Order: sequence, then C-alpha cells, then structure tokens
Amino acid sequence: MSNPYEILNVNQDAGKGEIMKAQMLAMKEKKYSLQEIQIAVRQLLDPAKRLAADFMFPTKIKAKRIQKIQVEIPVEKIDLSDIDENTFDSLK
Amino acid sequence: MEVVIILIVVGIIGYVIYQSLPNPKFQKASSLFDSGNLVEATKILNVIFEKHPDAPAKLAECKLKEGLKAKPKSDSEAIKYFNEVIDINKRLPSNASKAKYEIVEAKAYFEITVIQFNNSISATNAETKVKYLKDNLRFIDTATKSGIESDFTALRKKHLSELAEIYFQFGTQNEKSTKLIEAIQNYSTAKDYSVQSSNSKILYNSTTRIGICKLKNREHFEPTILEDVNKAPLEYKRDFYYRYTKKLLQDKEYSEAEKVIGTHLNFSSAAIDKIKELLKNKQVKSAIKKVNEINYTIEQLYENSFPVDDVKSLYETIDKRIEEIKTVVPTLSDKLQGLKPSLFNRLLSHYISVKQYANAINLIQKYSSFWESPELLKNLGICCYGFVTQGNLTEKNYRIVISNWLTAVFSDKVILKSLDTTTWDDDYTFTLTDAIGSNYEQHNDIPDNANYDDVNDTNISIGATQRELLQQFEILLHNTITDPSLSKVVNDYYMEEREAVEQIVSVINNDILFAAPHFAKTYGLNEEIIKELDNDYIEYSNEESLEAGVSYLKSHTDTYVREYATAKELVSKMVSAIKNEKLNDLKAIAEDRKKSLIEKYETINDTAEDLAFNAFTLKIEQNDENENLIPLMDECIRFLNQNEKLKAQCSHFIHDYCNSKWKTKPPVKLLELMIKSIKYNPNNYRAAKLITILINNNLMDIANDATTSTSQIYSLIDEVKKIKSQVLKDALKELQVLRNKVLSSMGAETSKTILLGYNLNSNGMKLKKVLDTMQTLAGGSSTTSILDLL
Repeated sequence: MSNPYEILNVNQDAGKGEIMKAQMLAMKEKKYSLQEIQIAVRQLLDPAKRLAADFMFPTKIKAKRIQKIQVEIPVEKIDLSDIDENTFDSLK
Repeated sequence: MEVVIILIVVGIIGYVIYQSLPNPKFQKASSLFDSGNLVEATKILNVIFEKHPDAPAKLAECKLKEGLKAKPKSDSEAIKYFNEVIDINKRLPSNASKAKYEIVEAKAYFEITVIQFNNSISATNAETKVKYLKDNLRFIDTATKSGIESDFTALRKKHLSELAEIYFQFGTQNEKSTKLIEAIQNYSTAKDYSVQSSNSKILYNSTTRIGICKLKNREHFEPTILEDVNKAPLEYKRDFYYRYTKKLLQDKEYSEAEKVIGTHLNFSSAAIDKIKELLKNKQVKSAIKKVNEINYTIEQLYENSFPVDDVKSLYETIDKRIEEIKTVVPTLSDKLQGLKPSLFNRLLSHYISVKQYANAINLIQKYSSFWESPELLKNLGICCYGFVTQGNLTEKNYRIVISNWLTAVFSDKVILKSLDTTTWDDDYTFTLTDAIGSNYEQHNDIPDNANYDDVNDTNISIGATQRELLQQFEILLHNTITDPSLSKVVNDYYMEEREAVEQIVSVINNDILFAAPHFAKTYGLNEEIIKELDNDYIEYSNEESLEAGVSYLKSHTDTYVREYATAKELVSKMVSAIKNEKLNDLKAIAEDRKKSLIEKYETINDTAEDLAFNAFTLKIEQNDENENLIPLMDECIRFLNQNEKLKAQCSHFIHDYCNSKWKTKPPVKLLELMIKSIKYNPNNYRAAKLITILINNNLMDIANDATTSTSQIYSLIDEVKKIKSQVLKDALKELQVLRNKVLSSMGAETSKTILLGYNLNSNGMKLKKVLDTMQTLAGGSSTTSILDLL
C-alpha cells in the first residue's frame, strides 16, 4: 500500500475539505494514477482506514531535549595520605 | 688299641682342620656377636675378612654396634666407630657380600647424619646453623642409603624445614630494618625450602610477607598469592589487606577495594572506618567525574547536530555507568536512568526517519520489557511494516518480524495509543466494542475519545482499523516476496501465528498481552498465557483452551496444555506409523497409559479414529492387496476405544484381500483371515458368504486328502462355531445343500454305510467327520438323520 498522505500531498492533520481539494490537485498533476488517487482518498476519508494509515506511515517521532545532569553532591576532603598503612603492622 | 689311637689322632687333626676353616670361624664370630662379645668377634672376623663373604658385613655390624653403644657418652667416639664401618668399604674383598654390607653402611651414614643434624640445630649462630645444615645435606646426598631411603628422606625434610624457618627469620630481620629487597629474597628462599619440606606454615607466612614487602615497596605482586595470604595468621592478613586496600584506592579500583574491606577488614576499628570513608569519598568523586563526562558528551552532541553513532555509543554505555554508580550515589544513577528514554527516542526517531527499520527493531527489542509499553509496541509494529515494505524478509528474520507485527496489531492498547497522535479525529470517537484482543470490562483507563459503544458513522471501530492493518500486511507479504518457496513458508507461518493468537484471544478473558506464539516464547510471555489457558480448562473443561495453548508450549511440564499436546502428538505418531507401515512404532505408542491420555481429552479421542481411518483409506487406495495393513489395523483397533468405523473398514479390507488372493493363498490361511473379518463386523454379509465357501473348500480338501492342515482346519471351524453372528449362521446353512450334493455323488449304498458309520476304514471315518461337521455348522445335528438314509 502506498502512503496516501504522499499521494495527495497533505499533512497528517488534514481535514475532509483539504483532502477533497488535494484530490483535485493530484488529478491535475497526474503524478499518480487515478486509481491510486482514489484509493488514497478512500483511505483518508474512512476514519478506521485512516487510523490504520497513520499507524503504517507515522509522522516523525518528536524527540525530547536531552537534559544535562545536575551534579550537586558535597564531597568531604579526605585524602590517601591520611591513611597510615602501618596501622596493622604485624612485625611490631 | 693302636687302631683306636690312630682314629683319635685322625679325629683331632680333622677337628683342628675343621675349626680352622672360614665357615666354623664365622659361626663362632656370629655367636660371639650375639652374646655381645664384640671384641672377640671382631678379632675372628678380621682373620676371615677375606675368606668368608659375609665377614665384612658382620665386622661392620660389630663396629655399628660399638658406635651405638658409644653414642650416649660421646658423639665423637660414636662417629669414629661409624666411620670405621664406612672405611670397610674401601677394602671390601671381591668375594664379599656387598649388599649385606651396604645395609650396615647406610645405617652408619644415617647415625652420623643424625648426630651432625642435632649438632647443627644446637648451634647458637644462625649463619653457622645454615652452614652445618647445608653441609649435612651434602653429606646426605653422598651417603649410601640402602634399605632406609625413607628415613633419609624424612631427615632431609627436617633439614629443609629448619632452613625454611631460619631464612624466614632472616627475612623478618631484614624487613624490620626496612631492607625490603633482601627481605623479599630471604622470604623467597624460605618459601622454596618450605615447599620442599612441606612446611605449610612457613609457606603461607613467607608468601604473605613477600606481599607485604612488595606493598611497602610499591611493587606489583601476582594476585595468585591471595590464596596463600588467606591461610596466614590473622595479624599478617590484616596487615596485608589494609595495605592492599590503600593500594587499590591509589589505583582507583574502588569496587575491588570495597570487596576487600567487606571480606577481610570487616572488624570494628577507627582505622577501618576511616578507610571506608575515604573509599566512599573516592567513589563519589569518580561517579561525579563519570556524570560530568556524560554531560560533556551531551554538550558535544548538541554542538555536532547529534551524530547517530555518538548517540548510540552514549546510549549503549549508559547502563554500565548506572551499574557503576548506583550503590554509591543512587540519586545520580536515577538521573542517568532518566536520560535513557531521551537517548532511546533520539535513536529510534533517527532510525525510523531514515528507514533503518532493522536497527530500530533491534533497538526496541533490546529495551527491557518493551512489550509493556504500548508506545514501543506500536513503534515495533511500524518498523516491522516498514521492514517488510522494503522487501527485507528472509529465511532468518521472518518469524520474529511477523510475530512482532501480529503482537502489536492484536493489542488494542497499541491502537488506543495511536489515537494520542492523531489530530484529524476531533469529530470522531472510537469504540473498542469489536476490537481484536480486547475484553469489554478490562480497560479501566481509556482515552476520552474512546468508548465501548456500538459502531456508527462517528463512533469508529478500532476492530476495523486492526482488520485493515492485518489485511494490508497480508497484501504486503504476498507482494514483496519474490522467491516462491520463501513466500509459501512466510505466508503459511503468518497464518499459523495469526490463527494461534486468534485462538487465545477467543478463550482468555483476562487483561493480558495477546502475543503471537513466537513473540511470547521469545520473551517468556507464554508462561502467563499457558497459565490462563490451564485455568480456563480447569474451570470450564474447555478443550479449546488447551488447543489454543499448544503453539505456546516451550519447555513446560505439568500443565494441562502440555498433557493435551502430548495426547495430540500420540495421535500424529499413530497416523505417521500407519503412513509408513511401522508396526513397531505403533506398538510403542499403544501403551495403556498413553491410551488413557487420549481418552482423557474428548476432542482428541473423537478425532483419533477418523484420522486413523483416513490414513488407512489412503493406504488402501495406494495398494488394496497390502497384507501389512492388517496387523496395523489390529493395533489401532486395540489402541482406540472409539473403533467401530475402523473395525468395519478392517473387516471389508480383509474380505476384499481374501477375494483377491483366492487362487494364491492356501484356503486355511484365507479362512483364518476371514474369521478375523467377521469378528470385526459380524453383520458383514459378504464375509459370512466367503467363510461358508472357505469352510466347504477346506473340508473338501480334508475329504480328498488334499491338505496337511486337517487339525488346524478343525480348530478354526471350532472358532467359527463360537462367533455370535446371525448373518454368519444364516450363511452357513448353505453347507447343508453342499453336503447333500456330496452324498448324492457317492451312490446310495456308500453314503448309507458312511452315514451309519459301521465298519468304516480310516478314509470312511474321515469322510463321515467332514459330513457331520458340515451338518453341524449348517445348524443340524451331527448324528445321522433318518432323512439322510432315505
């Protein structure tokens, strides 16, 4: 099945009037066959079929903005030099 | 008198000569040795040293004994005697028994070694001790050890163990004065000696101390030493692991440091608390650093217009980062988790926009529990549709693509989700009333523009949308696959998967995801489906539920669905055995336990006979003279409790078979088969007629001496008599007519004689029995009737 929105050159939110108007333009342009144009119109004027078409030919998924991560964690000052490695000296 | 004197003189001379011989002298020396008179024994043995082969060994024994006697008083005196034993070796005659001597010599060596060892360990200076011990080891190496090798080995080990202890002490002295390189050398030597002497205490201690020295010296050590360290004394272990933890912290190996603290430093101490605090501090800093790196990467992504490879790389590493920091800074790990959907969305939208559907499908499938999200399931469906549109279906991927698609479309939640993104539908509402994969009461939360009302011009059927999607996909499958064999496989598979999911939709009333079988089995969703189907069967005895579950079975046992599938498989195997004429296979299937399994499920039980009947019909059509079918039929009749059709089929088949073999098979064999035929179908008129003819022919063969199977024929006839069949009884009456014909062909006198049975020879007797049998079977008395005589 071809994409009816492409054939009629309409947006996915096009209303009935726009679809009818687009049908006339498409017929004039003759880019697609009459049968293809008719099928596309039928597809978009039948809500159940249009819903199926929307499923098969989705609009672009809107990706959310990727937010940077806020880092606000207090870190105490303690260092390796504070560790006496001879604390458990076994030869004392 | 003179004679007597001569004899005495000769005797004395003989005695003297005898006494001067080596053997008696050796015996005398031995007696003296035994009685402890070593001096006298030594004298004699010195005299016969070269004359008697055992004399040197005995002499050595004397010296050894002398040495042992002297040992408690004086080591040097004892050693002098033991050395005399050893010196004998230098002047050992060629005829001497060397083996006997060497046993004594070895003992002398051993005694000297023991004395020297005791002297070594009593030395006050450690260096001297080492020198003595090493000298003595060399002495042991050169000593004769005949017969007491194990004593020498044990003594050698004692030396080595002493050396291990001494070198370990050297090491500790070095370590205390911070001569770490020397300490490591001495610990290593101690370790070598401990291995040779099996001194495990020094082994573990040396290894641990080497580790400690290397840690002090900032040197690398092999992790294999940890095994030995764990066997060292507690104070050594704590010392080692505390230093080791500090090293791990220096090397930024925080998770390893955490493990060491948890395992080996899990005791209460301010120092431990401090190192734990430091560890935590380091881990937090490391986590912050990692998050800052991610923030930098995000900045770069925005600056470079989101190169997909960089997004992918960040997305793929994020789980690892979350894992690394989740126990340290859970808040940061949660924030990272929150980043995943955005990155996922970016990637997915990119793949879909550039029509890289395979990448998109893989991305979604890797997302944990993606099927729980209607949004993701919807996108999966979209990608599968796009993937098929591009003609990408192959032998390898068609299963998962088809199964994904069906699962997405059969989920009414997915279609409801589509309503979120439509903008043209303001004038419409959508109804779930005839949706596929929907249960009226189940959705508590549906969008405002969805309902469960009837379909009309403005209340649009979601079911119609789903059916449209299925139809469009089916058209796509037919149109996009050019390879005819793949096309068949794919379309058949699609129908199987679709029918399977339709079946579960029709029987399951609870709100679960109606996944197609392959999808369900891949992601483990079949467990829940099988459970639902089992419950439905338990509650309603609905075998349709079990039938629906068969496609969803994977490794399940102990479920009704599994049992049902097993029963079904048995029937398939039965049909296959018929098809391939495998009697043994059929016998293997037809066990009583399996029989009861089939009988348990009505649907299977009802269809099993038809399936067998059809299989036999096919076989008969292929070859109607195939005798092999008879035992197969017998087995099936025995196995199936519903078997009337099969019995009738078998009865007719045997009849037709016997008819065709009339000229080639012996009559007795044909009679035997026909008995089976009438037993399976007592109303088979044609079988009854054929049996009558066969009995007549067999009896005539007996009468004419044309058979050797007389007794077999009579026993078969006895079997016929027992068959309860009115049709057969009626047919057998014909035998009366045939009997009369026989009688009339004989002439009156002969027949009278035969019938009365007087003075009959063997042939006469035989004929009489034949005629009597015919009469009995025909329903008359075996005794001669008066009518026969008229």
